[in-house]
Amino acid sequence: MTEMNRRGPLSRRTLLTGAAGAAGAAVMVGARLTAPSGLGSATGLRPAAAGVHPQKTVHLAGTDGWVSMPQGAPADPPFFPDSLAPAGFDTYVFGFRDVTGLSATQVAAQRGHAQISAPMLSFDEEDDIFITLSNLGLLQRPDLFDGHTLHWHGFVNAIPLFDGVPELSLAVPVGRDFTYFYRPHDAGTYMYHCHFEDVEHVQMGMTGMVFIRPKQNKAPVNGDPVGTKYAYNDGDGSTRYDREFAFMLTELWSAAHYRDAHIQVNDWTDYAASFWLMNGRGYPDTLEPSGNPLVTAAGRLQYQPITSTVTCNAGDRVLLRFSNLGYQNHQMSVDNIDLTVVAKDASLLRGRDGTTNYLVTNGVDIGPGESRDVIFAAPTAGEYLLYDRNYSYLDNGGGPGYGGMMTKIVVHPAGTLGPQTAANA
Amino acid sequence: MRNLTHHLAQRRYAAALVAGTLALGSLTLGARAEAAPTSEGLECLTDAHNTFSLTARDGYVSTPDGNSIYMWGYGPSSGSFQLPGPVLCVTAGTHVRVILHNTLVEPTSIVFPGQSGVTADGKPAQPQLTDTGSMTSLTQSADATGGSVTYEFTAGSPGTYLYESGTDVAKQVQMGLYGALVVRPAGHPAQANDRSDSAFDPDHEYVFLLSEVDPDLHLGVERGDPVDVAHSTARYFMINGRSMPDTLAPNHASWLPNQPYGAMVHIKPYDAQTNPHPALIRYLNAGSVNYPFHPHGSDERVVTQDGSALAGSGGQDLSYLKYDLDVEPGQSLDALMDWRDVEQWDPATNPIPTQLPAIQDQLLVGPDTWFSESGYLGKKGSLPTNITANNECGEYYHVAHSHALQQATNYGATFGGMMTVFRIDPPAGCPTS
Repeated sequence: MTEMNRRGPLSRRTLLTGAAGAAGAAVMVGARLTAPSGLGSATGLRPAAAGVHPQKTVHLAGTDGWVSMPQGAPADPPFFPDSLAPAGFDTYVFGFRDVTGLSATQVAAQRGHAQISAPMLSFDEEDDIFITLSNLGLLQRPDLFDGHTLHWHGFVNAIPLFDGVPELSLAVPVGRDFTYFYRPHDAGTYMYHCHFEDVEHVQMGMTGMVFIRPKQNKAPVNGDPVGTKYAYNDGDGSTRYDREFAFMLTELWSAAHYRDAHIQVNDWTDYAASFWLMNGRGYPDTLEPSGNPLVTAAGRLQYQPITSTVTCNAGDRVLLRFSNLGYQNHQMSVDNIDLTVVAKDASLLRGRDGTTNYLVTNGVDIGPGESRDVIFAAPTAGEYLLYDRNYSYLDNGGGPGYGGMMTKIVVHPAGTLGPQTAANA
Repeated sequence: MRNLTHHLAQRRYAAALVAGTLALGSLTLGARAEAAPTSEGLECLTDAHNTFSLTARDGYVSTPDGNSIYMWGYGPSSGSFQLPGPVLCVTAGTHVRVILHNTLVEPTSIVFPGQSGVTADGKPAQPQLTDTGSMTSLTQSADATGGSVTYEFTAGSPGTYLYESGTDVAKQVQMGLYGALVVRPAGHPAQANDRSDSAFDPDHEYVFLLSEVDPDLHLGVERGDPVDVAHSTARYFMINGRSMPDTLAPNHASWLPNQPYGAMVHIKPYDAQTNPHPALIRYLNAGSVNYPFHPHGSDERVVTQDGSALAGSGGQDLSYLKYDLDVEPGQSLDALMDWRDVEQWDPATNPIPTQLPAIQDQLLVGPDTWFSESGYLGKKGSLPTNITANNECGEYYHVAHSHALQQATNYGATFGGMMTVFRIDPPAGCPTS
């Protein structure tokens, strides 16, 4: 949290005036200059020719909001449930929303309607990606003027301007926007999060997944048919998959969320998680279908729109993408199915001499800030659990029964499901 | 909460007052050796005969929020208290002798995890038991207040190792009795291990010795109170005995007299002709929990773990790239890193395809910034006069920190703790540095 009276440098009056004006009106979309075509760089290393890099545009908004932990979690007064929460909700959060294509008025209306986990993003290698971030401010905390940023976690050879660390570049003030540019050259599973007062904004929910699809998808190997999907440019088809499911692993410390809503201060070194989440939900909410934060049909899960249920046909090759933006290690395990770890931190497990070093296991350790790509061959039809082997993380707020970081792998008889249309679908 | 100075002024005012008193006290603890010149990167302690005389002493370290912490540490016997111990650099296969002198009020010792055939005063180093079979130390110790013991071993395979207390380990290691031992491959001092593909630029070699501090426990030891290491809560998180932003200060910064080692990585972009070799970072965990260390802006290639080159039995390369190195307690990881100017942005010929917002539409946090006000390497824009520019010539800065983000704080205050910065200068360098 950043309070007005703690700010030193910039003129408070200028900021206040500017912020109020912009937030009240709408959000401006920054001008973009397209790279000139036909001009090589001075060194001739990488001509920025138009057409080589398809353009993708995304508009994200950062704001606050309210979400719901699983029903039946025990009260932890005064922190949980939060007395300020609107009906149906119990926990204060910060988060991102995908507002691509919405009008300025519609975007402004999302203030106070953050979602967790953040929208899942996917692009192709060599795309030219323009992500505009609008800071809508915090509806519950108008006294704060926290900036927001996008940190594309794991992006190699980044330049600070687009790395999202406010102390080393800049943050987006309330009522303003900023366009980040990325041209990813390396396939894999990454993540993104706000880096403004990172320990707070990450814990509050500004965390999401982003993955980059390999060039090999456009030129299948091994005689695989057109349309075959791979996790990496493996050259041998070893990362081919039929369906993919991604999991943002986080913990949620109720007391910290309560204090942020109630104008109190946290000592982050007291960190003590209350809930353990996959894609922003604790079990059994992890099993509910994906929703749309613009419609109310999902009720208390409206702002936790991403399912964690894995569905596939017997015999399918299934890719699981795990990212951890919590502050604890997690050991994701499956009984009765062998898991093959093909990549860590968006790097194929292959030496510089081409030696493949995949790891077959039934438990995958993911530390804070790490990612794993895991492939399994779906066995016979049935239900299998995917869960954190740290059993103390398999509850909701210390309550009885199962909860936390757990979901199901539902295997249907071969041929039941048609081709997958999107990740986690 | 943002601004370190503002935040702390309000939140830790009382602590700072106490700290000031303690710091004054610590300055009287004895004559200080002549100040060493400042420098960057790994500073090795070497000896022609590989004989190192270390003294376990007590003293104080300072934290960026104005606290002063009572510590124990290994320092050169000819010097004074310091945290952490000096980096002992030796060559694989050579005979190493470490003489420990103890000025502390209780026995202490050194273990060398990863080395074999260690002797203590000429006898095999082994656990020490009482007559009734209770263990008192993992190895032979030096008596309290004046004792000494000599350890000897033949340096093992190339890599990075801890040396640390083997006596009352949960307390004494927390108190600061740890240091780094670097073993270089014979004949190849500019390789991390025996493999030629571990070559690095010896001018850009770094140790990141990671640890944490529970100030309450340290206060208990200082007062002679019983301490409960099982219920310790760390509040400070360190690289080479310093917390961000002190990690950015050079080695032997005058204002950190007992914390001589910085942790800022300072490189130029990779260039096949002029800058072909990567930097080497040697990660070591002297704590009791994982430290998931995340460098921004660059993957790192882990080539050695716990002194063992990552290679198959037939010499296959089993090194791997990571954007987050989850260093386990007692573990070492040696990692090669570089940064490549892949896009070659140039304002005239290859412009960044977005515009920098007007200055009033940027949020620059704090009274100073490392940002150059430009996206281009080697270019600087202008800042309002009320913001101090730390940027010299348009160099890039990337942060690198623990991603268990409560460890990237100073007692909860963000942008601190186990964090440092990677500085990337333009190819021609900065005129001022």
